[in-house]
Amino acid sequence: MKARPAVRLGVTIAALALPSLAAASSASAATLKGVFKIGSGSYFRMGEPNGAFFSNPYSADSNKTYTLISAGSAGGLRTGVAQKAPSPAFDGQGDSLAAAIIKPTNFAGIRFGLATTSAPAISVSSGHLSGQIDGLVAEWNKQTFKQGNKVTGTYSAKTRRYVLTWSALIKGGPFNGFTGHGRLQGTFSPA
Amino acid sequence: MLAERPKRWPLAALAAIGLALVGAPFAFGMFSRAPRGAHMITSFAPYMTNRRLDGFQSDLRYIDGGVLGGQAAVRALDAAGGAKATARFPEFVTFERQWSAIDPDMTAMLDTIQANIGNFRAVAALPSFRLFPLFFVIPGAIVLLLVGLAWFRPGRWPAIRWVLAVVGVGLVLAPVAFQMFSRAPKGARMVSAFTTIETRARVERIQIYFSDIASGQGTVELELIPALRHAGLGTRQIDSTYPGLTTLDAQWVHVLNDMTPMIGAMSDNVTNYQAVAALPSFRLFPWFFVLPGLFIIAFVAVTSPRRRSDDAPVPRDPEFSKPLNEGVT
Repeated sequence: MKARPAVRLGVTIAALALPSLAAASSASAATLKGVFKIGSGSYFRMGEPNGAFFSNPYSADSNKTYTLISAGSAGGLRTGVAQKAPSPAFDGQGDSLAAAIIKPTNFAGIRFGLATTSAPAISVSSGHLSGQIDGLVAEWNKQTFKQGNKVTGTYSAKTRRYVLTWSALIKGGPFNGFTGHGRLQGTFSPA
Repeated sequence: MLAERPKRWPLAALAAIGLALVGAPFAFGMFSRAPRGAHMITSFAPYMTNRRLDGFQSDLRYIDGGVLGGQAAVRALDAAGGAKATARFPEFVTFERQWSAIDPDMTAMLDTIQANIGNFRAVAALPSFRLFPLFFVIPGAIVLLLVGLAWFRPGRWPAIRWVLAVVGVGLVLAPVAFQMFSRAPKGARMVSAFTTIETRARVERIQIYFSDIASGQGTVELELIPALRHAGLGTRQIDSTYPGLTTLDAQWVHVLNDMTPMIGAMSDNVTNYQAVAALPSFRLFPWFFVLPGLFIIAFVAVTSPRRRSDDAPVPRDPEFSKPLNEGVT
């Protein structure tokens, strides 16, 4: 009989505490709205099904499996809105015209660009970045490759410097089974 | 009163044929496999032409010309002295070695595909694969319906027999109308020829080839041609002495535009091909229609009309059973 009031008390405390805990949790993970400006050291890499990496002879890096990328006309990856590819998305020889996120970059002889078909959402909690860039696509040679996935990284609120990384298995097309690896780094510019 | 009604065993046999026709697409997984086959045919259609396949063979020749030109350039640079050129261009040396395996393999693959253009066209000219399950289910369902009708309304058997006969004749004629006897064996030959091509392992190998070729082309454009310029050769001289190098350089984007979608189509259709290959042999397909059709016709034909009196003698009217002279005085 004595146990019943104790259970009631426990339930009441839990009912009062849970919303507070949830609020505290959401408060600690702040959504970052703005542009993740792409600085030097950002790259794209493509893993082959056999474990090797695609060597891009046109890469500016000494290790040709890293294709260095630089900021496009929008400065980088914007959260909260989609940075869609223009129409048409390619020129006559298949070079990507999607130039907002990155400057279209030579990959094996044809320039590739990045676009987002849906708004990326990235938040920071205790200096750790997490979120999704599900709508990220790489555009190359008149073809579109889904590159979206979860992103992780680090962020300094003081310097606004960030590092974002992601990997995405390519499904379908000539690079089916390959894995795209991306790394963006630079500074975050709030909206 | 006299009435035709069907014998029971032919009705049972006809019901079995109807069930077999309805059940065959389920047994062979046609509802999932046939649409995959249709998708494969649609995906391959743009590539299965002599013009496109000749184009792919030309692409290989451009690359081969680039390798031969590169070998000649490396020899010339070696002869010109300085550091050994083969040591200066290790990536080209690697590509040269890789190409010696890639070229025969890709050429053989394209030869096989090209040899099957006619077979592909024959299959593509058949009605859409998506319809194939229905070609079995619909006549099967009609046969079952008619057998059911004949069972419950024996009086309608004379008319039902004719409809069944029409269904049977339709099944026999359908493969003739769709030229299945000539087209289906060609489809079987194509499916057999692609057994070693449309596999995940083979497609991955081609994807890796593509990676090797892209790297090799980069070496030609970014290392060998600049080295020749550095050695004092002008653009025109490089063109005339090493035409393979400059041709590959000039055609590279075209090669990429041409080959990558084909590799994509091959990769995207591995599972579709496997679905088609898992169907019964195409050679058998005409017979899947003709044999049930013939059986239906045969069973209808042997179903000679039976008199109702055979099964249940009609009681004689006592009035009629009386002797004609009864009561005559």
